[in-house]
Amino acid sequence: MGADLYLAEDTLLGDDFLRQLMSVGEVDLLVAIPSYNNASTIKQTVQAVEESYQQNFIRERVVILNVDGGSTDHTTDVVSTMDGRRNVGYRGLTSLRTVHRVTTQYAKSPSPGMALRTVLATADLLRARSCAIVSPTTTNLDASWIANLLRPAYRQNFEFVAPLYARSRYQGLLARNLLYPMSRALFGRRIREMYSEEWGFSGRLATQCLSQNVWNDEAIRVRPEAWMALTAICSDFKCCQSFLGPRLPPAAAGGIDIVEAIRQTVSSLFRYLEIYQDHWLDRTGSQEVPTFGPDHELSADGKPSNQEKIFGMFRNGVAELDPILASILTPDTHAQIKEIATLDPSSFRFGFELWVKTLYEFATSYHHAVINRDHVVQALVPLYRGRMYSFFLEHADSSPEEIEADSEILCLEFERQKPYLVERWKAKS
Amino acid sequence: MALQEDNLWYKDAVIYQLHVRTFCDSDGNGIGDFQGLTNKLDYLQELGINALWLLPFYPSPLRDDGYDIADYTSVNPTYGSVEDFKTFLTAAHNRHIRVIIEMVMNHTSDQHPWFQEARSSRDNPKRDWYVWSETDTRYQGVRIIFLDTEMSNWAWDPISKSYYWHRFFSHQPDLNFDNPAVREAMWDVMKFWLDIGVDGFRLDAVPYLVERDETSCENLPETHAVIRDLRKRLDLAYPGKMLLAEANQWPADVRAYFGDGDEFHMAFHFPLMPRMFMAVKLEDRKPIIEILEQTPQIPDNCQWCIFLRNHDELTLEMVTDVERDYMYDAFANDKAMRINLGIRRRLAPMMENDRRRVELLNGLLLSMPGTPIIYYGDEIGMGDNVYLGDRNGVRTPMQWNGGWNAGFSSADPERLYSPLISNPVYGYQAINVDSQRRSEHSLLSWTKSVIQTRNSFRVFSRGSIEFLNPSNHRVLAYVRQLGEERVLVVNNLSSSAQAVELNLQSYKGHIPIEMFGRNLFPRIGDLPYLLTLAPYQFFWFRLRRI
Repeated sequence: MGADLYLAEDTLLGDDFLRQLMSVGEVDLLVAIPSYNNASTIKQTVQAVEESYQQNFIRERVVILNVDGGSTDHTTDVVSTMDGRRNVGYRGLTSLRTVHRVTTQYAKSPSPGMALRTVLATADLLRARSCAIVSPTTTNLDASWIANLLRPAYRQNFEFVAPLYARSRYQGLLARNLLYPMSRALFGRRIREMYSEEWGFSGRLATQCLSQNVWNDEAIRVRPEAWMALTAICSDFKCCQSFLGPRLPPAAAGGIDIVEAIRQTVSSLFRYLEIYQDHWLDRTGSQEVPTFGPDHELSADGKPSNQEKIFGMFRNGVAELDPILASILTPDTHAQIKEIATLDPSSFRFGFELWVKTLYEFATSYHHAVINRDHVVQALVPLYRGRMYSFFLEHADSSPEEIEADSEILCLEFERQKPYLVERWKAKS
Repeated sequence: MALQEDNLWYKDAVIYQLHVRTFCDSDGNGIGDFQGLTNKLDYLQELGINALWLLPFYPSPLRDDGYDIADYTSVNPTYGSVEDFKTFLTAAHNRHIRVIIEMVMNHTSDQHPWFQEARSSRDNPKRDWYVWSETDTRYQGVRIIFLDTEMSNWAWDPISKSYYWHRFFSHQPDLNFDNPAVREAMWDVMKFWLDIGVDGFRLDAVPYLVERDETSCENLPETHAVIRDLRKRLDLAYPGKMLLAEANQWPADVRAYFGDGDEFHMAFHFPLMPRMFMAVKLEDRKPIIEILEQTPQIPDNCQWCIFLRNHDELTLEMVTDVERDYMYDAFANDKAMRINLGIRRRLAPMMENDRRRVELLNGLLLSMPGTPIIYYGDEIGMGDNVYLGDRNGVRTPMQWNGGWNAGFSSADPERLYSPLISNPVYGYQAINVDSQRRSEHSLLSWTKSVIQTRNSFRVFSRGSIEFLNPSNHRVLAYVRQLGEERVLVVNNLSSSAQAVELNLQSYKGHIPIEMFGRNLFPRIGDLPYLLTLAPYQFFWFRLRRI
């Protein structure tokens, strides 16, 4: 995606879209559905939102906003032509007011950052008090999710609402082993899911984010949700978590691409460390944030897949990327990693201390751009696989409670070693 | 001066509703009377209304504001005599004002001689004029209407030692319309007043005339048969006279009361009324559009009657629970404002004395399909007193001027049938006819102007309606059409300025002429017609092809 996709400020919202917004007027609640070729699933997403409005927000002024990244399968047509007449399907309840549905195509190719910017501009123009973003690929999204994302900002003056999901033990490992503990240690708020396709926020936060001149930043273009959370945290806005339930993967998805997931999330996290370095460098410890519903729900279901293959990829990666790792890591850390790569698979461990130290060294190398930043992040992939494999071994027989307890220890290790990161971060800056 | 002969006169009527007691006291006893009302007919003619609906003026114990009638063919002496009524009627007709009176058919007062006879012994010939039972379990499940005061639809009569049926207060026994003698007696009552010259009847509590086991005892076929019989007799003997149904039901249920044009001429559209208030409060046309979409077509010789406020509470029976809760929160947050399933407030206080909203609601009332009814005092923005009990707070004396008893009566204030509204905002010193007559910008002057405009164009009273549904939901727009006469109505329901684009392709080439200022607006072309409206502003445009 090139910079030419970005429209000038005065044309961010096209005339047709503006005309739609004129008709909507000020709203209390806005739910946005970013889309790209989701014609087969978006109808049920819109229905879930409408149902939630009818169940939970009967009196409110509400709008459903579909921001589309250039679908070729008529996704926006599905949204705009859905039957919008009085729906009394849910216990006879119906919204007292018109439930507005508006669509816009912000670009000819998808860009989450651009989609978010359009949502924020809309929220700002319509003076929405509470907003949520939901994904049309979430097949089990239901009305309660929408309410849980909207209510904290609408009724209790929270500014950012992170989702919480029920997980099986092997779901969300990247968040559990890296994203959550690291962002918690650095930014001081215990928000488990900063990288998600569903979240909520206040109109005030929308306006705050919209006003920032960050929209050409690659990290924000690709994964803007964590940036929004961090903006809230660093602005001392009230944040909370809201439990949604189990999140089923899209039916058509062919499995999670670890390389792409790390490329997007870790590089954006590293980038956010730079953007918000004034806010985290001197911060110590971490605080709970208010949570609606259980703060986690972990089941013992699931089996790790391809353990041997994952370990093999770790071992090969360590060997093949040796020169790159040598430029990223300190000699001591590099040596320790090479040493564990020689261990027998059954006795392998990628311990917390080494894992945290490794990540902090990656972050500083990214910051100091010791090599091409993309290469830094890609070099982390085999090491993460090593950590995954270690997790499988450590928790082969663990109960959910034991896994949670262990995760807490990892978080504390991130917090404990933070001075090491700060020292290295400042060293060359 | 004779009234124009037009059997469909009720379609073109602008009805003014009042109670004789409340309007003007001519003899200084503190209670309004027919002589006083007659003296004020010039005012009503000047206002522009062309029909009067009088609340019950019959002899009555007045335990339900006269709806408990003790004698159907006389006038309550405190209001005057039958002769006084005749004088009033002639004077009204001379001013082209028709008169509609109340016909409370469903029940009488328990003080009515018919009931006194009926209860005197089980063998009395009048016994079967009412509905009796040995137990209070018959017709179980039938809803109780006055929930705040009544526990049952049956009341124990200690004299004849049995239960009698009453759908309203227990002092209002229901008549037994299965008895042909009752039907004949009620027709005799109607003939009595028709012979005097009244122009129509508002039939109270119509759905409840007949009872049957295993039913809701509402809207029964037997009730419709009673109505059809009355209508047939009326058309034969008194053509041009009108029957108006009070049936607080959903439009689909009320539709049956029009029959094939052979039952009622008119019926109130109860569900529309709260939705007009709701739409303005919500700033969204949805409630109005929804209920009108659910409103069935009616025969050509029939008409809906629409209103904003009346002598009763603003009834919330024909709304959902959710809508009722909203209405209470929006308009009756003080519990004293609520009664039964409704709100006992007047128009102006409900609109927080916001002139723009009062005008907008009146604009809706006068431009939507149906015959509008204006409740006395609302044309000057009178207030209410929710602490007077029952619905008496909206039945206080008319405020004619800022002087003694608001010009209503020369009696000592303590003797008035009801205290005057005297607070600084709505009191008679601030809100009265005389002071508003002096200003061409007063609500009264505005009301006269808007009624005059409506009366000048028959399209308002007889035309079709087509909703335009612009994407801006805060704007309610429609075109009324009758032959070549077309009027475009655009209402901004919101408290903020709005822009709206109207699809007027069907009227391409027409010139909109604003009907109050008679100013020309740009000709309608190919593009959507753009209008901007100030908060709560509305436009009436005559669409002319010149």
